[in-house]
Amino acid sequence: MRVLVITLFLLTQISFAQESLPNINIKDLKNKTVNIKTDFAEEDKIYVFSFWATWCVPCIRELEAIKLHYSVWSKELNMELIAISTDDSRTQKRVRPLVNGKNWPYRILLDENQELKRALAIVNIPYTVIVKNGEIKHVVNGYSQGAEMELYHKLQEL
Amino acid sequence: MKNYWFLMILCLSIPLSAQEDKKEKKDYGRIYGGVESNSQYYLDDEGLNFIKPEEPFRSNNYLFFNYSYKNFTAGFQIESYEPNALLNYNPLFNGTDLGTYFLDYKNEKLQVTVGHFYEQFGSGILLRAWEDRALGINSAMRGGRVKYSPNDNINFTALYGRQRSGFHVTNGDIYGLDTDIFLGEWLNLYEKNQDLSIGLSYVGRYEDVNFENPNFNELTNAYSFRFDYINNSFYLNGEATYKEEDGILDSQGRLSNDFVEPGHAFQLNFGYSSMNYGIDVTLRRVQNMSFLSEREPTTYIDFQGDLTSSLDFLDGIMNFVPALTKQHHSQLSNIYVYQAFNGVSFVDPEIMRAGETGGQIDFFYSIPSGTALGGKYGTNISVNLASWYNLPGSYTFSPPNYDVDFFGIGNKFFSDYSIEITKKINDDWHVGAIYIDQYSDLRFLDGRDPVNADILVADATYNFTSTKSIRLEVEKMWATADRKDWIGSTLEFNPNENFSVYVWDIYNYGSDKPEEQVHYLNVGGSFRKGRYRVALNYGRQRGGLVCVGGVCRFVPESSGFTLNFNTSF
Repeated sequence: MRVLVITLFLLTQISFAQESLPNINIKDLKNKTVNIKTDFAEEDKIYVFSFWATWCVPCIRELEAIKLHYSVWSKELNMELIAISTDDSRTQKRVRPLVNGKNWPYRILLDENQELKRALAIVNIPYTVIVKNGEIKHVVNGYSQGAEMELYHKLQEL
Repeated sequence: MKNYWFLMILCLSIPLSAQEDKKEKKDYGRIYGGVESNSQYYLDDEGLNFIKPEEPFRSNNYLFFNYSYKNFTAGFQIESYEPNALLNYNPLFNGTDLGTYFLDYKNEKLQVTVGHFYEQFGSGILLRAWEDRALGINSAMRGGRVKYSPNDNINFTALYGRQRSGFHVTNGDIYGLDTDIFLGEWLNLYEKNQDLSIGLSYVGRYEDVNFENPNFNELTNAYSFRFDYINNSFYLNGEATYKEEDGILDSQGRLSNDFVEPGHAFQLNFGYSSMNYGIDVTLRRVQNMSFLSEREPTTYIDFQGDLTSSLDFLDGIMNFVPALTKQHHSQLSNIYVYQAFNGVSFVDPEIMRAGETGGQIDFFYSIPSGTALGGKYGTNISVNLASWYNLPGSYTFSPPNYDVDFFGIGNKFFSDYSIEITKKINDDWHVGAIYIDQYSDLRFLDGRDPVNADILVADATYNFTSTKSIRLEVEKMWATADRKDWIGSTLEFNPNENFSVYVWDIYNYGSDKPEEQVHYLNVGGSFRKGRYRVALNYGRQRGGLVCVGGVCRFVPESSGFTLNFNTSF
């Protein structure tokens, strides 16, 4: 236990950022393989990877809240949001109708066996990873009402 | 064990130097991973009749560490259950040790992994190696895997391994082959806004059998075929699975040489979605599809001296057959949850099953904004109807046998019908309500009488400012049997984007037994910033099924403090 505390302390001291996304393939809604590292590499474009699930109420709230601003933000900030569903095969079939039923403008990827979620050590969702020029610039762990504006200000700074 | 910690600290010192060297723009690779810690301090609780264990402080800790350089990645996970794992976790999670480790090479076409890996074929009905720390599942395979994609239209996977169980592996050798073939380009489907893909899987499990003349082979072969077709806004997909004859467990949980049958499963899913609405239908029939990496489960004595089996901890399960029902989020709607019945179980002449059949329908609709019902921001409605039944046919208890029909339904196991409405009224107010009608035949779960329950949940969120909000949820359940009526409420306050505090209580005021008329009061809060999250809770854990992703585990009641911490690097 003592060692663990020391380790945790060390970790917080190191505070270096994960430089780039892991080289992992996951699927899109048409089963096509997408590489997280190489398929989101347009220069100076901001990619916002938002991890969600059909059963996660705050996740859906966040994506709904961003939807209201999405057409403005995506043009103004040259950004794209990629909504990564972590639903496993219990609820994954619900992704297609839910996304369309809610009329979401986002690109949707399926992390069905949570390979990407695990590689990024994500424990709780919602979880947002902001990437620009292949580097992870910012991470948001969780969502509370109104936090989409915090996200917007972060994106403006990039 | 000290060696592991030494190794860990050594590895953690690498990024310090890596960070400094970055200025020179040299590629020293990169490090990534995370830390999670879940601790609990148990307290005696007379109201729940809970006596704290001898060592009341227990903790589960995970360090996941990876180093990646060019096409290579190496990683490990150290797990520390000190001084003991949290109550109700698999007793094989004990002490501090190396849980998983791997070395991986990946280029555009080829990926080779040795060591531990996670994998899923199709929907997982033949094979799913996965991790869920909340459930205490880590069924990573230890062995080798090759993935090869000669072009964009074909993926192959071949693997061999043994399944992780605690800090060891089980005795079954698992072989797997899987392929995905995308036909859209070859059939010129993209021009027509169509798409078609198919998949084939094979899984074999070899395990020595300890008795003479078994009626089944030591190697059990299983196959599946799947397809997914999309035509504009319509989609249709399915999966058919067959598993050769295999020994199953008798009512004492011992491997039996009688009653040996093949197993199979069929799933069909289709739907149509368009602007503002979507409909989805899933039908599934599963018969005798329990697939274990060791045919006979291990039995243990738990901390209270009771006999438990590895299956109680979901240990040694190779495949994944989730309950296809809506995953509700309120407290009371998770009292009667369904767990898919994929295997054969003959408990007594009243309770005999060989699988399950049924389906669910989902409907989503957004009433557009600017209409009378939609208001300024629109209104979201979702309906889910799920019903699951025993396979129809005849069952005899002695000698055990079943003769089931392919079509039709038997006795109802479970149903859940719900309608949910959520609405943003203006920038300050969000409201929502859900009504659920549930039926659960608890005889098949643990012998209790069947229960009918109606649940009503309403919630409202008020935003004081863009980052300060308060949420109130109230819920009520009317149930005809078991512990009867409940009432509950949750109050959550978010003073800013980093903090959240809550108090919730559910009260079983309607129980016929006075000792069950208790409150399950919990208070807690969480702090999050960037990659860090810390949460603290004090309160009572309701006994029953704890479910994640449609897989459930029984936990008894308990009481105490919980501390969770996680971060990534």
